[in-house]
Amino acid sequence: MTDSIDGLEMALDRLLLADANALDSKDMKGWLANYAEENEASYYCRATENTEHNLELGFMFDDCRARLEDRVTYVNEIWAGTFQDYRTRHFVQRVSHWQVDASTAEAISNFSVFMTPMDTGVTQVLAVGRYLDRLRLSDAGDAKLLSRRAELDTSVLPRYLVYPI
Amino acid sequence: MAEATLTWPKNYNEVPKAAFIRADLYADEIQRIFHGAEWHPIAHESELPNPGDFKTMRLAGIPLLISRDEADVVRVFYNACSHRSNQLETAVMGNKTEFECPYHRWLFNAKGDLVGCPNPREFLPGFDKADYPLGQPRFELFYGLIFVTFSSETEPLETFLGEAGETLRELMAGDGRLKLLGYQKVRYDSNWKGYNDNDGYHAPLLHAAFKMLNWQGGKGRQYTCTRRGHVCFESALSVASGPSVLKDKDLIAFKGQDPSVGSRIVQLFPTFVSTKHLDIINLRFATPIDAETTEVHYAYFAHQDDDDEMLRHRLRQSSNLLGPCGLISMEDASIFHRIHIGSHTPGNAIFQKGVRDPSKLESEFLQNDESGNLPRWEYYRSVMGFERAEA
Repeated sequence: MTDSIDGLEMALDRLLLADANALDSKDMKGWLANYAEENEASYYCRATENTEHNLELGFMFDDCRARLEDRVTYVNEIWAGTFQDYRTRHFVQRVSHWQVDASTAEAISNFSVFMTPMDTGVTQVLAVGRYLDRLRLSDAGDAKLLSRRAELDTSVLPRYLVYPI
Repeated sequence: MAEATLTWPKNYNEVPKAAFIRADLYADEIQRIFHGAEWHPIAHESELPNPGDFKTMRLAGIPLLISRDEADVVRVFYNACSHRSNQLETAVMGNKTEFECPYHRWLFNAKGDLVGCPNPREFLPGFDKADYPLGQPRFELFYGLIFVTFSSETEPLETFLGEAGETLRELMAGDGRLKLLGYQKVRYDSNWKGYNDNDGYHAPLLHAAFKMLNWQGGKGRQYTCTRRGHVCFESALSVASGPSVLKDKDLIAFKGQDPSVGSRIVQLFPTFVSTKHLDIINLRFATPIDAETTEVHYAYFAHQDDDDEMLRHRLRQSSNLLGPCGLISMEDASIFHRIHIGSHTPGNAIFQKGVRDPSKLESEFLQNDESGNLPRWEYYRSVMGFERAEA
């Protein structure tokens, strides 16, 4: 359990950075490891435009642990070799957080993701938006994602997505 | 207007790569095709289900406003004030029964009537509000699917659709009583024809997922109809068999009725692609942005009679299976980009699969034949006025 504010902030930021690092390293197993083991662990990636109009459909809709595990399989096995690869750099910044109960916290963070396709080498913005996170806090003071909603200001993507945001 | 010329190969199965990339052709295509005598689907009326709902978008540059008035009548307007053409509504969707232009405060109702404007005494002598409604393109509805055309010469929509209309009706759940689930919007680095040539049709060989999931294609037919070469696919639904690499098998489950023709695609000239696959109903509204860019709005739907469980299933399946990030379609998007890059090389793209005689056009094809695209190319050639080389 995390009882000090400083401890909570450190735990949240460690997780935020670990996720950015896993994504930018294309380490999908590392990405999965940032999520809680619970069956309801979830990741959604959706245009804020949809959310604001009560439209639940997203670019990615992984509403259970099995789907998170399947996304690792999509990227590492099913899609391997079929697309133009690109590098990403996630810039993340926590802007708000609060503790819900002893083992749960919530946080809002801004993100911007740059993309550099390997073939052109020309960098552009892939997406900008906010993470709305619900986090499970362990007795040891670690935080894992129980639910992450990547809400994209970018309602029109400049490219198809291979990796989660 | 200066007319761009391009000599077309004599064989029907050859398409000049220059057609995909020449900027001078693009300007001519906008005039002849997008602003010409074609019908373009722009929305399904279920995207604006309630009185006062509206949607805006641009089609080949032209700003459009679709609104549903208090009496439930759906209309299409130019999204520009009838005074100085200031863009009238800036939101992509919303609910309003009046639209006010902020420039000179002209106010329009959802029927497009000009209902108020300050200080009309200072206007031209004899100014009458009745002479200044919002401008409208021609539009027609087909089972709720809203089409516009910017030419007075376009034939009636029913004629334009031909036999494709029946497949399109079936694709939209048989009655067009749809419920919007949401959008996936994306820009592809591809000429609109590169997008269109490879979205409806694409080789199953591309889809590694099919192989990994032991997912064999169902038996079916591909046919083209009307002089525009609209392409329709109808096939039996197949469900993946054998051990799956997926832990959540609902992604590829079929929970609906009628698997005998459970999979349909309707592709209308010039850019519209729609598909019903498994329990996904997907209408793709596409528009060229420039010669190198195509924007596609994937709109997904449920049926109005779905129970909560089916609605949930469609939402989960639609989000993850077919769009620009979908399990079995992400790599299609990659092909649009790569076809566009590769087309900057000399010569012709030569279609092979299903071509029996390059001097003839056919209208019935096997499901995976690429020759189904050829009648559409012949129509494109003719509408652009390009001469075919002598045999």
